[in-house]
Amino acid sequence: MSADTAEQAIRVMVVDDHPMWRDAVERDLQQAGFDVVAVAATGTEALARFKAARPQVVVLDLQIPEPDGVGVTREALAHDPSARVLVLSASGEQADVLEAVKAGATGYLVKSASREELLDAVRRVARGDTVFTPGLAGLVLGEFRRLADPAASTDPMQPQLTERETEVLKMVAKGMSYKQVAERLVLSHRTVQNHVQNTLRKLQMHNRVELTRWAIEQGLDED
Amino acid sequence: MTLANAVVLNLYRADNFQRPVAGVVCVVVMVAWTAVAVWAYAAPRRRTVGLLVADLAVAVALLAVTPLVKGDGFNATVPGFWVAGALLAWAVRYRWVGGLLAAVVLSATDLLVREEITQANYGNVFLIVIGGPIVGFMCGSLQEMAAERDRAERTAAAAAERARLARAVHDGVLQVLSLVQRRGAELGGEAAELGRLAGEQESRLRTLIRTQERTAERPGEVGGDAVLDLAAELGRLESRAAVTVAAPATPVELPADVVRELCAVVGACLDNVAVHVGPQAPAWVLLEAFADRVELSVRDEGPGIPAGRLEQAAAEGRLGVSESIRGRVADLGGTATLSTGSFGTEWEIVVPLGRR
Repeated sequence: MSADTAEQAIRVMVVDDHPMWRDAVERDLQQAGFDVVAVAATGTEALARFKAARPQVVVLDLQIPEPDGVGVTREALAHDPSARVLVLSASGEQADVLEAVKAGATGYLVKSASREELLDAVRRVARGDTVFTPGLAGLVLGEFRRLADPAASTDPMQPQLTERETEVLKMVAKGMSYKQVAERLVLSHRTVQNHVQNTLRKLQMHNRVELTRWAIEQGLDED
Repeated sequence: MTLANAVVLNLYRADNFQRPVAGVVCVVVMVAWTAVAVWAYAAPRRRTVGLLVADLAVAVALLAVTPLVKGDGFNATVPGFWVAGALLAWAVRYRWVGGLLAAVVLSATDLLVREEITQANYGNVFLIVIGGPIVGFMCGSLQEMAAERDRAERTAAAAAERARLARAVHDGVLQVLSLVQRRGAELGGEAAELGRLAGEQESRLRTLIRTQERTAERPGEVGGDAVLDLAAELGRLESRAAVTVAAPATPVELPADVVRELCAVVGACLDNVAVHVGPQAPAWVLLEAFADRVELSVRDEGPGIPAGRLEQAAAEGRLGVSESIRGRVADLGGTATLSTGSFGTEWEIVVPLGRR
Protein backbone atom coordinates (compact mmCIF):
# COMPACT_ATOMS: atom_id res chain seq x y z
CA MET A 1 0.00 0.00 0.00
CA SER A 2 2.90 2.36 0.69
CA ALA A 3 4.10 3.37 -2.79
CA ASP A 4 0.67 4.16 -4.25
CA THR A 5 -0.85 6.09 -1.38
CA ALA A 6 2.07 8.46 -1.14
CA GLU A 7 1.27 9.67 -4.66
CA GLN A 8 -2.52 9.68 -4.50
CA ALA A 9 -4.44 11.79 -2.03
CA ILE A 10 -4.87 9.87 1.21
CA ARG A 11 -8.55 9.30 2.08
CA VAL A 12 -9.20 10.51 5.61
CA MET A 13 -12.22 10.57 7.90
CA VAL A 14 -12.38 13.00 10.83
CA VAL A 15 -14.40 12.00 13.91
CA ASP A 16 -14.85 14.64 16.59
CA ASP A 17 -17.95 15.82 18.43
CA HIS A 18 -16.57 19.33 18.71
CA PRO A 19 -17.56 21.20 15.51
CA MET A 20 -14.81 23.81 15.80
CA TRP A 21 -12.16 21.15 16.00
CA ARG A 22 -13.67 18.99 13.31
CA ASP A 23 -13.72 21.93 10.91
CA ALA A 24 -10.19 23.00 11.80
CA VAL A 25 -8.75 19.53 11.31
CA GLU A 26 -10.74 19.02 8.12
CA ARG A 27 -9.52 22.34 6.69
CA ASP A 28 -5.89 21.61 7.60
CA LEU A 29 -6.06 18.20 5.97
CA GLN A 30 -7.74 19.51 2.82
CA GLN A 31 -5.25 22.37 2.44
CA ALA A 32 -2.41 19.87 2.70
CA GLY A 33 -3.93 17.86 -0.15
CA PHE A 34 -5.62 15.07 1.76
CA ASP A 35 -9.01 13.83 0.63
CA VAL A 36 -11.41 14.18 3.55
CA VAL A 37 -14.06 11.65 2.52
CA ALA A 38 -16.22 11.89 5.63
CA VAL A 39 -16.67 13.62 8.97
CA ALA A 40 -18.69 12.41 11.92
CA ALA A 41 -19.67 13.69 15.35
CA THR A 42 -20.75 10.49 17.10
CA GLY A 43 -19.67 6.87 17.24
CA THR A 44 -22.78 5.67 15.43
CA GLU A 45 -22.32 8.21 12.63
CA ALA A 46 -18.64 7.33 12.42
CA LEU A 47 -19.27 3.62 11.91
CA ALA A 48 -22.02 4.15 9.33
CA ARG A 49 -19.94 6.61 7.31
CA PHE A 50 -16.78 4.55 7.70
CA LYS A 51 -18.44 1.68 5.86
CA ALA A 52 -19.75 3.95 3.11
CA ALA A 53 -16.70 6.17 2.58
CA ARG A 54 -13.94 3.58 3.18
CA PRO A 55 -11.26 5.97 4.46
CA GLN A 56 -7.64 4.84 4.75
CA VAL A 57 -7.07 6.82 7.92
CA VAL A 58 -9.54 7.70 10.68
CA VAL A 59 -8.52 10.72 12.74
CA LEU A 60 -10.43 9.92 15.91
CA ASP A 61 -11.27 11.76 19.09
CA LEU A 62 -11.81 9.31 21.97
CA GLN A 63 -14.41 11.40 23.80
CA ILE A 64 -17.38 11.09 21.47
CA PRO A 65 -21.01 10.08 22.08
CA GLU A 66 -21.69 6.33 22.06
CA PRO A 67 -20.06 4.15 21.02
CA ASP A 68 -16.85 5.81 22.22
CA GLY A 69 -13.55 6.00 20.38
CA VAL A 70 -12.36 2.62 21.63
CA GLY A 71 -15.53 0.96 20.34
CA VAL A 72 -15.29 2.75 17.00
CA THR A 73 -11.66 1.65 16.63
CA ARG A 74 -12.54 -1.99 17.28
CA GLU A 75 -15.61 -2.03 15.00
CA ALA A 76 -14.02 -0.10 12.15
CA LEU A 77 -10.89 -2.28 12.07
CA ALA A 78 -12.99 -5.44 12.25
CA HIS A 79 -14.83 -4.20 9.16
CA ASP A 80 -11.73 -3.12 7.28
CA PRO A 81 -8.42 -4.30 8.76
CA SER A 82 -6.42 -2.31 6.19
CA ALA A 83 -7.69 1.00 7.60
CA ARG A 84 -5.59 2.89 10.13
CA VAL A 85 -6.73 4.74 13.23
CA LEU A 86 -4.92 7.82 14.52
CA VAL A 87 -6.16 8.85 17.94
CA LEU A 88 -6.25 12.61 18.35
CA SER A 89 -7.36 13.31 21.86
CA ALA A 90 -7.61 16.31 24.14
CA SER A 91 -8.35 14.11 27.06
CA GLY A 92 -5.43 13.08 29.21
CA GLU A 93 -7.29 9.91 30.05
CA GLN A 94 -4.47 7.37 29.99
CA ALA A 95 -6.55 4.23 30.23
CA ASP A 96 -8.69 5.21 27.21
CA VAL A 97 -5.67 5.76 25.03
CA LEU A 98 -4.19 2.42 26.01
CA GLU A 99 -7.53 0.70 25.30
CA ALA A 100 -7.75 2.32 21.87
CA VAL A 101 -4.23 1.17 21.06
CA LYS A 102 -5.04 -2.35 22.23
CA ALA A 103 -8.12 -2.24 19.99
CA GLY A 104 -5.86 -1.55 17.03
CA ALA A 105 -5.15 2.19 16.79
CA THR A 106 -1.63 2.69 15.46
CA GLY A 107 -1.08 6.31 16.32
CA TYR A 108 -1.71 8.75 19.13
CA LEU A 109 -1.36 12.49 19.19
CA VAL A 110 -2.51 15.03 21.77
CA LYS A 111 -4.59 17.85 20.36
CA SER A 112 -2.04 20.43 21.37
CA ALA A 113 0.25 19.01 18.67
CA SER A 114 0.97 21.46 15.86
CA ARG A 115 -0.56 21.38 12.38
CA GLU A 116 2.65 19.99 10.91
CA GLU A 117 2.82 17.26 13.52
CA LEU A 118 -0.75 16.26 12.71
CA LEU A 119 -0.19 16.19 8.93
CA ASP A 120 3.02 14.23 9.39
CA ALA A 121 1.27 11.79 11.72
CA VAL A 122 -1.56 11.17 9.22
CA ARG A 123 0.97 10.52 6.45
CA ARG A 124 2.98 8.13 8.60
CA VAL A 125 -0.04 6.25 9.89
CA ALA A 126 -1.34 5.89 6.31
CA ARG A 127 2.04 4.40 5.32
CA GLY A 128 1.55 1.78 8.00
CA ASP A 129 3.98 3.32 10.47
CA THR A 130 3.13 3.74 14.11
CA VAL A 131 3.07 7.19 15.59
CA PHE A 132 4.20 7.14 19.18
CA THR A 133 4.34 9.97 21.63
CA PRO A 134 6.59 9.56 24.66
CA GLY A 135 3.38 9.35 26.70
CA LEU A 136 2.06 6.42 24.64
CA ALA A 137 5.41 4.65 24.81
CA GLY A 138 5.30 5.01 28.58
CA LEU A 139 1.78 3.53 28.67
CA VAL A 140 2.70 0.57 26.47
CA LEU A 141 5.89 -0.04 28.42
CA GLY A 142 3.92 0.10 31.66
CA GLU A 143 1.39 -2.38 30.27
CA PHE A 144 4.11 -4.90 29.39
CA ARG A 145 5.68 -4.43 32.81
CA ARG A 146 2.30 -5.04 34.41
CA LEU A 147 1.70 -8.19 32.36
CA ALA A 148 5.20 -9.44 33.19
CA ASP A 149 4.67 -9.00 36.93
CA PRO A 150 4.23 -12.56 38.24
CA ALA A 151 1.94 -11.28 41.01
CA ALA A 152 -0.46 -9.72 38.51
CA SER A 153 -0.76 -12.57 36.04
CA THR A 154 0.27 -16.17 35.63
CA ASP A 155 -0.79 -16.18 32.00
CA PRO A 156 1.44 -18.46 29.92
CA MET A 157 0.36 -16.55 26.80
CA GLN A 158 1.47 -13.21 28.17
CA PRO A 159 3.27 -11.16 25.58
CA GLN A 160 6.91 -10.34 26.19
CA LEU A 161 9.16 -7.77 24.65
CA THR A 162 12.63 -8.66 23.48
CA GLU A 163 15.48 -6.80 25.12
CA ARG A 164 15.94 -4.72 22.00
CA GLU A 165 12.26 -3.82 21.81
CA THR A 166 12.27 -2.77 25.46
CA GLU A 167 15.36 -0.67 24.88
CA VAL A 168 13.84 1.08 21.88
CA LEU A 169 10.47 1.66 23.53
CA LYS A 170 12.17 3.05 26.61
CA MET A 171 14.14 5.53 24.53
CA VAL A 172 10.97 6.65 22.76
CA ALA A 173 9.30 7.09 26.15
CA LYS A 174 12.23 9.26 27.18
CA GLY A 175 11.37 11.59 24.32
CA MET A 176 13.87 10.51 21.68
CA SER A 177 12.88 10.57 18.03
CA TYR A 178 13.28 7.41 15.95
CA LYS A 179 16.27 9.08 14.33
CA GLN A 180 17.95 9.69 17.67
CA VAL A 181 17.24 6.14 18.78
CA ALA A 182 18.69 4.82 15.53
CA GLU A 183 21.85 6.87 16.04
CA ARG A 184 22.27 5.81 19.64
CA LEU A 185 21.81 2.12 18.96
CA VAL A 186 23.53 2.20 15.56
CA LEU A 187 20.49 0.81 13.78
CA SER A 188 18.66 1.89 10.65
CA HIS A 189 15.63 4.11 10.99
CA ARG A 190 13.54 1.31 9.49
CA THR A 191 14.70 -1.20 12.10
CA VAL A 192 13.74 1.14 14.91
CA GLN A 193 10.34 1.65 13.30
CA ASN A 194 9.89 -2.13 13.06
CA HIS A 195 10.77 -2.66 16.70
CA VAL A 196 8.22 -0.06 17.75
CA GLN A 197 5.56 -1.58 15.50
CA ASN A 198 6.22 -5.04 16.92
CA THR A 199 5.54 -3.85 20.46
CA LEU A 200 2.11 -2.60 19.42
CA ARG A 201 1.38 -5.71 17.41
CA LYS A 202 2.17 -7.93 20.39
CA LEU A 203 -0.13 -5.90 22.60
CA GLN A 204 -2.98 -5.97 20.05
CA MET A 205 -2.52 -9.69 19.48
CA HIS A 206 -2.64 -10.31 23.22
CA ASN A 207 -5.82 -8.25 23.40
CA ARG A 208 -7.45 -10.32 20.65
CA VAL A 209 -6.43 -13.56 22.35
CA GLU A 210 -7.91 -12.26 25.60
CA LEU A 211 -11.15 -11.23 23.89
CA THR A 212 -11.49 -14.60 22.17
CA ARG A 213 -10.82 -16.45 25.37
CA TRP A 214 -13.33 -14.29 27.17
CA ALA A 215 -15.91 -14.98 24.44
CA ILE A 216 -15.34 -18.74 24.70
CA GLU A 217 -15.60 -18.65 28.48
CA GLN A 218 -18.86 -16.74 28.19
CA GLY A 219 -20.14 -19.32 25.71
CA LEU A 220 -20.45 -16.75 22.93
CA ASP A 221 -18.93 -19.15 20.40
CA GLU A 222 -21.91 -21.45 20.59
CA ASP A 223 -24.16 -19.47 18.33
CA MET B 1 -53.64 -11.10 64.03
CA THR B 2 -54.41 -9.52 67.37
CA LEU B 3 -57.96 -8.99 66.12
CA ALA B 4 -58.34 -12.68 65.24
CA ASN B 5 -56.78 -13.57 68.56
CA ALA B 6 -59.21 -11.30 70.44
CA VAL B 7 -62.28 -12.47 68.47
CA VAL B 8 -61.46 -16.17 68.87
CA LEU B 9 -60.63 -15.79 72.55
CA ASN B 10 -63.87 -13.91 73.18
CA LEU B 11 -65.85 -16.60 71.32
CA TYR B 12 -64.06 -19.30 73.27
CA ARG B 13 -64.84 -17.60 76.53
CA ALA B 14 -68.33 -16.53 75.51
CA ASP B 15 -69.74 -18.05 78.66
CA ASN B 16 -67.67 -15.56 80.70
CA PHE B 17 -69.81 -12.74 79.41
CA GLN B 18 -72.50 -11.53 81.78
CA ARG B 19 -74.04 -9.52 78.99
CA PRO B 20 -73.51 -11.47 75.75
CA VAL B 21 -75.21 -8.85 73.56
CA ALA B 22 -72.90 -6.11 74.80
CA GLY B 23 -69.99 -8.52 74.28
CA VAL B 24 -71.00 -9.07 70.66
CA VAL B 25 -71.27 -5.31 70.21
CA CYS B 26 -67.75 -4.92 71.62
CA VAL B 27 -66.35 -7.51 69.24
CA VAL B 28 -68.17 -5.94 66.29
CA VAL B 29 -66.74 -2.55 67.28
CA MET B 30 -63.26 -4.08 67.35
CA VAL B 31 -63.67 -5.63 63.91
CA ALA B 32 -65.11 -2.44 62.48
CA TRP B 33 -62.50 -0.21 64.04
CA THR B 34 -59.70 -2.48 62.87
CA ALA B 35 -61.00 -2.20 59.31
CA VAL B 36 -61.25 1.58 59.62
CA ALA B 37 -57.76 1.81 61.17
CA VAL B 38 -56.20 -0.38 58.48
CA TRP B 39 -57.72 1.83 55.80
CA ALA B 40 -56.88 5.07 57.61
CA TYR B 41 -53.26 4.25 58.42
CA ALA B 42 -52.61 3.13 54.81
CA ALA B 43 -52.29 6.70 53.52
CA PRO B 44 -49.71 8.98 55.18
CA ARG B 45 -51.97 12.03 54.85
CA ARG B 46 -54.68 10.36 57.02
CA ARG B 47 -52.25 9.59 59.86
CA THR B 48 -53.32 12.64 61.84
CA VAL B 49 -53.31 13.32 65.56
CA GLY B 50 -57.08 12.83 65.54
CA LEU B 51 -56.81 9.32 64.15
CA LEU B 52 -54.21 8.33 66.71
CA VAL B 53 -56.22 9.79 69.57
CA ALA B 54 -59.34 8.01 68.29
CA ASP B 55 -57.44 4.73 67.99
CA LEU B 56 -56.21 5.00 71.56
CA ALA B 57 -59.61 6.14 72.77
CA VAL B 58 -61.35 3.09 71.25
CA ALA B 59 -58.84 0.78 72.92
CA VAL B 60 -59.24 2.54 76.27
CA ALA B 61 -63.02 2.53 75.97
CA LEU B 62 -63.08 -1.21 75.27
CA LEU B 63 -60.87 -1.79 78.28
CA ALA B 64 -63.10 0.46 80.37
CA VAL B 65 -66.35 -1.30 79.43
CA THR B 66 -64.96 -4.74 80.27
CA PRO B 67 -66.33 -4.77 83.88
CA LEU B 68 -69.76 -3.80 82.52
CA VAL B 69 -69.75 -6.54 79.90
CA LYS B 70 -68.00 -9.29 81.77
CA GLY B 71 -68.89 -8.25 85.26
CA ASP B 72 -66.51 -7.49 88.09
CA GLY B 73 -63.76 -9.96 88.82
CA PHE B 74 -63.15 -10.73 85.14
CA ASN B 75 -59.85 -12.29 84.19
CA ALA B 76 -59.12 -11.09 80.63
CA THR B 77 -60.25 -7.77 79.16
CA VAL B 78 -62.44 -7.76 76.06
CA PRO B 79 -59.86 -6.42 73.64
CA GLY B 80 -56.97 -8.31 75.27
CA PHE B 81 -53.80 -7.98 73.20
CA TRP B 82 -55.77 -6.05 70.58
CA VAL B 83 -54.82 -2.83 72.38
CA ALA B 84 -51.25 -3.42 71.17
CA GLY B 85 -52.38 -2.06 67.77
CA ALA B 86 -53.04 1.40 69.19
CA LEU B 87 -49.90 1.20 71.32
CA LEU B 88 -47.69 0.40 68.30
CA ALA B 89 -49.34 3.10 66.20
CA TRP B 90 -48.43 5.66 68.85
CA ALA B 91 -44.92 4.29 69.18
CA VAL B 92 -44.39 4.41 65.42
CA ARG B 93 -45.83 7.89 65.08
CA TYR B 94 -44.43 9.65 68.16
CA ARG B 95 -41.37 7.52 68.84
CA TRP B 96 -40.55 6.58 72.42
CA VAL B 97 -42.57 9.40 73.94
CA GLY B 98 -45.72 8.26 72.12
CA GLY B 99 -45.01 4.63 73.00
CA LEU B 100 -44.59 5.51 76.67
CA LEU B 101 -47.68 7.72 76.76
CA ALA B 102 -49.95 5.15 75.10
CA ALA B 103 -48.52 2.39 77.29
CA VAL B 104 -49.18 4.39 80.48
CA VAL B 105 -52.74 5.29 79.45
CA LEU B 106 -53.58 1.68 78.50
CA SER B 107 -51.95 0.23 81.61
CA ALA B 108 -53.62 2.73 83.90
CA THR B 109 -57.03 1.92 82.40
CA ASP B 110 -56.34 -1.78 82.58
CA LEU B 111 -55.34 -1.55 86.26
CA LEU B 112 -58.15 0.81 87.21
CA VAL B 113 -60.94 -1.40 85.82
CA ARG B 114 -59.71 -4.48 87.67
CA GLU B 115 -60.85 -5.37 91.14
CA GLU B 116 -57.66 -7.03 92.12
CA ILE B 117 -54.28 -7.01 90.46
CA THR B 118 -52.55 -10.35 90.04
CA GLN B 119 -48.89 -10.87 89.36
CA ALA B 120 -49.73 -11.77 85.73
CA ASN B 121 -51.59 -8.47 85.30
CA TYR B 122 -48.60 -6.62 86.68
CA GLY B 123 -46.30 -8.52 84.34
CA ASN B 124 -48.42 -7.63 81.30
CA VAL B 125 -48.55 -3.98 82.27
CA PHE B 126 -44.84 -3.91 82.90
CA LEU B 127 -44.15 -5.41 79.44
CA ILE B 128 -46.45 -2.86 77.77
CA VAL B 129 -44.77 0.07 79.52
CA ILE B 130 -41.29 -1.24 78.63
CA GLY B 131 -42.24 -2.35 75.10
CA GLY B 132 -44.00 0.86 74.02
CA PRO B 133 -41.01 3.19 74.39
CA ILE B 134 -38.58 0.57 73.03
CA VAL B 135 -40.59 0.07 69.85
CA GLY B 136 -40.90 3.85 69.57
CA PHE B 137 -37.18 4.30 70.02
CA MET B 138 -36.41 1.65 67.38
CA CYS B 139 -38.79 3.29 64.93
CA GLY B 140 -37.05 6.60 65.54
CA SER B 141 -33.64 5.07 64.88
CA LEU B 142 -34.89 3.35 61.74
CA GLN B 143 -36.39 6.55 60.43
CA GLU B 144 -33.18 8.42 61.13
CA MET B 145 -31.15 5.73 59.40
CA ALA B 146 -33.45 5.82 56.39
CA ALA B 147 -33.19 9.60 56.26
CA GLU B 148 -29.41 9.35 56.56
CA ARG B 149 -29.29 6.80 53.74
CA ASP B 150 -31.51 8.96 51.53
CA ARG B 151 -29.24 11.91 52.17
CA ALA B 152 -26.14 9.84 51.32
CA GLU B 153 -27.77 8.54 48.14
CA ARG B 154 -28.75 12.02 47.11
CA THR B 155 -25.22 13.30 47.77
CA ALA B 156 -23.68 10.45 45.77
CA ALA B 157 -26.07 10.98 42.87
CA ALA B 158 -25.38 14.71 42.91
CA ALA B 159 -21.63 14.10 42.96
CA ALA B 160 -21.83 11.68 40.05
CA GLU B 161 -23.89 14.14 38.05
CA ARG B 162 -21.48 16.96 38.88
CA ALA B 163 -18.56 14.78 37.77
CA ARG B 164 -20.33 13.96 34.51
CA LEU B 165 -21.08 17.61 33.83
CA ALA B 166 -17.55 18.61 34.81
CA ARG B 167 -16.12 16.04 32.41
CA ALA B 168 -18.20 17.42 29.55
CA VAL B 169 -17.27 21.00 30.41
CA HIS B 170 -13.59 20.17 30.90
CA ASP B 171 -13.45 18.33 27.62
CA GLY B 172 -14.94 21.34 25.85
CA VAL B 173 -12.51 23.72 27.57
CA LEU B 174 -9.54 21.50 26.73
CA GLN B 175 -10.62 21.35 23.10
CA VAL B 176 -10.90 25.13 22.82
CA LEU B 177 -7.60 25.73 24.62
CA SER B 178 -5.80 23.28 22.31
CA LEU B 179 -7.40 24.92 19.31
CA VAL B 180 -6.35 28.41 20.44
CA GLN B 181 -2.84 27.11 21.05
CA ARG B 182 -2.64 25.54 17.65
CA ARG B 183 -4.10 28.46 15.68
CA GLY B 184 -2.09 30.95 17.71
CA ALA B 185 1.17 29.28 16.84
CA GLU B 186 0.24 29.35 13.17
CA LEU B 187 -0.73 33.04 13.16
CA GLY B 188 2.41 34.16 14.97
CA GLY B 189 3.05 37.48 16.72
CA GLU B 190 0.74 38.36 19.59
CA ALA B 191 -1.53 35.45 18.73
CA ALA B 192 1.40 33.11 19.26
CA GLU B 193 1.77 34.47 22.80
CA LEU B 194 -1.95 33.88 23.40
CA GLY B 195 -1.57 30.42 21.97
CA ARG B 196 1.35 29.69 24.28
CA LEU B 197 -0.68 30.81 27.32
CA ALA B 198 -3.64 28.69 26.19
CA GLY B 199 -1.30 25.74 25.82
CA GLU B 200 0.03 26.20 29.35
CA GLN B 201 -3.49 26.33 30.75
CA GLU B 202 -4.51 23.32 28.70
CA SER B 203 -1.74 21.17 30.08
CA ARG B 204 -2.38 22.44 33.61
CA LEU B 205 -6.08 21.63 33.39
CA ARG B 206 -5.37 18.24 31.84
CA THR B 207 -2.99 17.40 34.68
CA LEU B 208 -5.53 18.57 37.25
CA ILE B 209 -8.29 16.42 35.75
CA ARG B 210 -6.05 13.39 35.61
CA THR B 211 -5.02 13.85 39.24
CA GLN B 212 -8.64 14.38 40.31
CA GLU B 213 -9.88 11.29 38.50
CA ARG B 214 -7.22 9.15 40.07
CA THR B 215 -8.03 10.52 43.51
CA ALA B 216 -11.77 10.07 42.99
CA GLU B 217 -11.29 6.41 42.20
CA ARG B 218 -10.00 5.78 45.71
CA PRO B 219 -12.09 8.02 47.96
CA GLY B 220 -11.37 5.89 51.02
CA GLU B 221 -7.72 6.79 50.97
CA VAL B 222 -8.07 10.52 50.58
CA GLY B 223 -6.94 12.25 53.72
CA GLY B 224 -5.66 8.94 55.06
CA ASP B 225 -2.43 10.01 53.40
CA ALA B 226 -0.91 6.54 53.68
CA VAL B 227 -0.25 6.03 49.96
CA LEU B 228 -0.13 8.26 46.90
CA ASP B 229 -0.06 7.49 43.21
CA LEU B 230 3.42 8.39 42.00
CA ALA B 231 2.25 8.43 38.36
CA ALA B 232 -0.45 11.02 39.10
CA GLU B 233 1.84 13.13 41.28
CA LEU B 234 4.56 13.17 38.61
CA GLY B 235 1.86 14.05 36.07
CA ARG B 236 1.51 17.41 37.83
CA LEU B 237 5.02 18.27 36.67
CA GLU B 238 3.67 18.47 33.10
CA SER B 239 2.25 21.85 33.97
CA ARG B 240 5.82 23.14 33.72
CA ALA B 241 6.78 24.45 30.31
CA ALA B 242 8.06 21.79 27.87
CA VAL B 243 8.05 18.93 30.35
CA THR B 244 6.67 15.59 29.14
CA VAL B 245 5.85 12.85 31.63
CA ALA B 246 5.47 9.22 30.52
CA ALA B 247 4.05 6.76 33.03
CA PRO B 248 2.03 3.53 33.16
CA ALA B 249 -1.76 3.69 32.87
CA THR B 250 -2.24 1.95 36.20
CA PRO B 251 -1.59 3.79 39.47
CA VAL B 252 1.84 3.37 41.06
CA GLU B 253 1.03 3.48 44.74
CA LEU B 254 3.81 4.13 47.21
CA PRO B 255 4.00 5.51 50.74
CA ALA B 256 3.11 9.20 50.62
CA ASP B 257 6.44 10.42 51.98
CA VAL B 258 8.39 8.42 49.35
CA VAL B 259 6.17 9.84 46.59
CA ARG B 260 6.67 13.41 47.84
CA GLU B 261 10.42 12.98 48.11
CA LEU B 262 10.69 11.46 44.63
CA CYS B 263 8.61 14.27 43.16
CA ALA B 264 10.83 16.79 44.90
CA VAL B 265 13.94 15.08 43.49
CA VAL B 266 12.51 15.03 39.97
CA GLY B 267 11.51 18.66 40.45
CA ALA B 268 15.10 19.48 41.42
CA CYS B 269 16.38 17.72 38.28
CA LEU B 270 13.94 19.76 36.17
CA ASP B 271 14.99 22.99 37.93
CA ASN B 272 18.53 22.13 36.96
CA VAL B 273 17.47 21.75 33.34
CA ALA B 274 15.76 25.14 33.46
CA VAL B 275 18.88 26.78 34.93
CA HIS B 276 21.53 25.15 32.75
CA VAL B 277 19.74 24.57 29.46
CA GLY B 278 17.00 27.19 29.49
CA PRO B 279 13.56 27.83 30.94
CA GLN B 280 11.82 26.63 27.75
CA ALA B 281 14.16 23.67 27.16
CA PRO B 282 12.28 20.41 26.65
CA ALA B 283 12.71 17.70 29.27
CA TRP B 284 11.26 14.22 29.59
CA VAL B 285 10.37 12.23 32.67
CA LEU B 286 9.80 8.49 32.44
CA LEU B 287 8.40 6.39 35.27
CA GLU B 288 8.54 2.62 35.18
CA ALA B 289 7.10 0.41 37.91
CA PHE B 290 8.42 -3.08 38.60
CA ALA B 291 7.41 -5.57 41.25
CA ASP B 292 10.45 -4.76 43.37
CA ARG B 293 11.45 -1.23 42.35
CA VAL B 294 10.54 1.95 40.55
CA GLU B 295 12.79 3.50 37.91
CA LEU B 296 12.72 7.14 37.01
CA SER B 297 14.51 8.93 34.24
CA VAL B 298 14.83 12.68 33.74
CA ARG B 299 16.40 13.62 30.43
CA ASP B 300 17.20 16.81 28.57
CA GLU B 301 18.91 17.56 25.29
CA GLY B 302 21.12 20.37 26.54
CA PRO B 303 24.86 20.69 26.02
CA GLY B 304 25.57 18.34 28.95
CA ILE B 305 27.71 19.05 31.98
CA PRO B 306 31.35 19.82 31.01
CA ALA B 307 33.83 17.18 32.18
CA GLY B 308 35.45 17.99 35.49
CA ARG B 309 32.95 20.62 36.56
CA LEU B 310 31.32 18.41 39.16
CA GLU B 311 34.70 17.31 40.52
CA GLN B 312 35.84 20.89 40.64
CA ALA B 313 32.74 21.90 42.51
CA ALA B 314 33.25 19.06 44.98
CA ALA B 315 36.91 20.02 45.45
CA GLU B 316 35.85 23.56 46.25
CA GLY B 317 33.69 22.19 48.98
CA ARG B 318 30.40 22.88 47.16
CA LEU B 319 28.17 19.86 47.14
CA GLY B 320 25.99 21.17 44.35
CA VAL B 321 22.70 20.02 43.05
CA SER B 322 23.86 16.63 41.82
CA GLU B 323 25.21 15.62 45.23
CA SER B 324 21.99 16.74 46.87
CA ILE B 325 19.97 14.64 44.39
CA ARG B 326 22.17 11.59 45.06
CA GLY B 327 21.88 12.12 48.79
CA ARG B 328 18.11 12.40 48.78
CA VAL B 329 17.71 9.26 46.67
CA ALA B 330 20.22 7.40 48.89
CA ASP B 331 18.06 8.31 51.90
CA LEU B 332 15.24 6.40 50.21
CA GLY B 333 17.58 3.43 49.80
CA GLY B 334 18.01 3.96 46.07
CA THR B 335 20.62 5.09 43.61
CA ALA B 336 20.82 8.05 41.26
CA THR B 337 23.12 7.87 38.26
CA LEU B 338 24.03 10.80 36.07
CA SER B 339 25.07 10.37 32.47
CA THR B 340 26.02 13.40 30.47
CA GLY B 341 27.56 14.15 27.11
CA SER B 342 26.88 15.84 23.82
CA PHE B 343 23.50 14.07 23.73
CA GLY B 344 22.36 15.92 26.83
CA THR B 345 21.99 14.96 30.45
CA GLU B 346 20.06 12.10 31.97
CA TRP B 347 19.40 11.22 35.57
CA GLU B 348 18.43 7.63 36.23
CA ILE B 349 16.92 7.01 39.64
CA VAL B 350 16.20 3.53 40.96
CA VAL B 351 14.38 3.06 44.26
CA PRO B 352 13.72 -0.45 45.62
CA LEU B 353 10.32 -1.13 47.14
CA GLY B 354 9.83 -2.92 50.41
CA ARG B 355 6.91 -4.91 49.09
CA ARG B 356 4.84 -7.00 51.40
